[in-house]
Amino acid sequence: MSPGLSRIVRTDWFGPFVIALAAIAIVAAFNPSFLSPLNIQVLLLAISINALIAFSQMSIIAIGQMNLSVGAIGGLVAISFAGMMEVWGFPAPVAATLALALGLVCGLLNGLVIAWTGISAFIITLASLSLYKGINLGITQAQPFYGVLDAVKAFGQTNVLGPIPWLAVPTAIVALLLWYMFNRLPVGRFILAVGGNQHAAELSGISVGFTVTVAHAISGLLAGLAGILLVARLQIGQPTIGDDWLILSFAAPVIGGAVLAGGHVSIPATLLGVVIVAIITQALVLFNIDPYLVQVVLGFLILGAVGLNRFREARLERPAGRI
Amino acid sequence: MSRVTRVLACAGLALSVGSTAVLAADDSKFALVPGGPHPYFSAWEQAGKDAARDFGLAAADYKVPQKWELSQQNQLLESLLSQGYNGFLIFPGDSVGTGSTAAELVANGAPVIAGAGCLQDPSDAAFCLGTDTGNSAYLGTKQLIGALGDSKRIVHFTGFLVDPNTQLRIDAVQRAADEAGAQVVQVIADIDAPEPAEEKINAYLAAHAGEVDGIITTAWVPAVVAANALRKIGDKRIKMVGIDHDEVVLQAIKDGFVTGTMLQNPYGQAYIGAFALDKLRSGCTVKQDAPLMANALTAKFIDSGTAFVGADGVDNYVDAMRAATKALFDTFEATYLTCQ
Repeated sequence: MSPGLSRIVRTDWFGPFVIALAAIAIVAAFNPSFLSPLNIQVLLLAISINALIAFSQMSIIAIGQMNLSVGAIGGLVAISFAGMMEVWGFPAPVAATLALALGLVCGLLNGLVIAWTGISAFIITLASLSLYKGINLGITQAQPFYGVLDAVKAFGQTNVLGPIPWLAVPTAIVALLLWYMFNRLPVGRFILAVGGNQHAAELSGISVGFTVTVAHAISGLLAGLAGILLVARLQIGQPTIGDDWLILSFAAPVIGGAVLAGGHVSIPATLLGVVIVAIITQALVLFNIDPYLVQVVLGFLILGAVGLNRFREARLERPAGRI
Repeated sequence: MSRVTRVLACAGLALSVGSTAVLAADDSKFALVPGGPHPYFSAWEQAGKDAARDFGLAAADYKVPQKWELSQQNQLLESLLSQGYNGFLIFPGDSVGTGSTAAELVANGAPVIAGAGCLQDPSDAAFCLGTDTGNSAYLGTKQLIGALGDSKRIVHFTGFLVDPNTQLRIDAVQRAADEAGAQVVQVIADIDAPEPAEEKINAYLAAHAGEVDGIITTAWVPAVVAANALRKIGDKRIKMVGIDHDEVVLQAIKDGFVTGTMLQNPYGQAYIGAFALDKLRSGCTVKQDAPLMANALTAKFIDSGTAFVGADGVDNYVDAMRAATKALFDTFEATYLTCQ
């Protein structure tokens, strides 16, 4: 194996990339319409939003914690965005800015409480999940906001180029910014350092509390952005937005090889994890799986994808002579 | 939404004017509890307020569990009981699992009526007041098949698998299709939430739009998403019959993307449910010979009414709902209750 190819094979995104390619080839072989422009657009719409949800959780996994309130923040921001347009008549950019700020504040509050109290993020975000969801229901009374502006609906329904939807644009920008942050900026390195070994990071002069707070603020911001994009896609401010984000938010980074203990995450691999989950979800529809077995099959396929990637990593970690 | 609520409020007011004298129970404090947040139940809130005013109740409050989880609903019900609520209209989070909580409520002197969905017999619910979901799905499928040409390939989009109504709907659609020689090519379930509905319905239509002739939807959110999807791909060849009265579905009927919708009667369920709870607290009992119906879950079922609305009736759909409520309310006490 040439050094260049060997280097590519050893990257953390290579395994998910091969699995995603294999999944596309298998599904397309059985159902050629899978690769039709319309279906590619449908896939990209799902991936655009799910990637932000995964990135939101990935930012917290990077510090070795978990954020159970990702969906609750996304839902609260979504209904706030739609509500500000319907009830107060705010222009879309103003509503989006204020709603994003709300997501940032929600994440910031999570981080501050965790940093100040030292209580497990699991506990704090479990509580804030209930708090943010409760505020959501208190505002909406469980009823959707329908007054989404036409410009927002158009943004969620139209394409920027070929089958590529406009919704993919903010996600692509976020992916690039996150990659740059985790690989080039001090704050990104601090986050990974705290996740890798909190004690060592502290001894190195890194402010753990500040880093944890920043990570949670980023997570809240990304969850909020996902909520806003989902309003554009659904054309409605549904109070149930975010209710089923939790499993996906963990599945994609884990398929992408993220270490739940912290210290290592990969943006391209997480993105590919989202692609794999989206293909699996769509394949279950296309192959007419019994509705009562969908969750079972989905669970096995995700386990299979994670297992394949881990198997590949284990093989690579063996001494070179045995590869 | 607000326009619908106002119209329904007027309907409730009109009903109250024509009602017989009611036995006011100013200590009656009722909770109307759905299985979780869902737009279908939006009419319950206004219906509860109208019922409290019309029947002199201390309260008939709409209380929503934060999630569609049986445990959350059970905790909410027990909490409401401890707060002094003494009658419950419940959409069961689970047709069997909610039974023990209903028994607990009844044991503490609070009558229970299952609303919009039934408890599995035997249960302590006085009766189940809801849409005959099987019949609604059956009639809707018949309407759809009537709108199709020679080719009759149908896809069925439906709701949560834990919803006791979902299997009834799946069976009814299949039965209607079998009778008419149509084929149900696929059932996609568990999509009564925006994100999975959007993802799965669009994925299905992207791959199979050319292979189906009709869509029957038997849950609120799939109806909305499917109506939007047909509008987006601009396909009027595929006929669709939806369910309920979301603005998106009604507009799609007007614009010709949807053939019609099967109305349910959530307002009537809550309004008449609160009335019946008050009567039960006042000492009334369900008549031994009441004409209760049977479905797959219970032999204590009362149909709150259903109606098909197509393009010709979509502008006056509220009239259909009002008529269903009035017809049931006018005869409810005499038909179903024995009061001293």
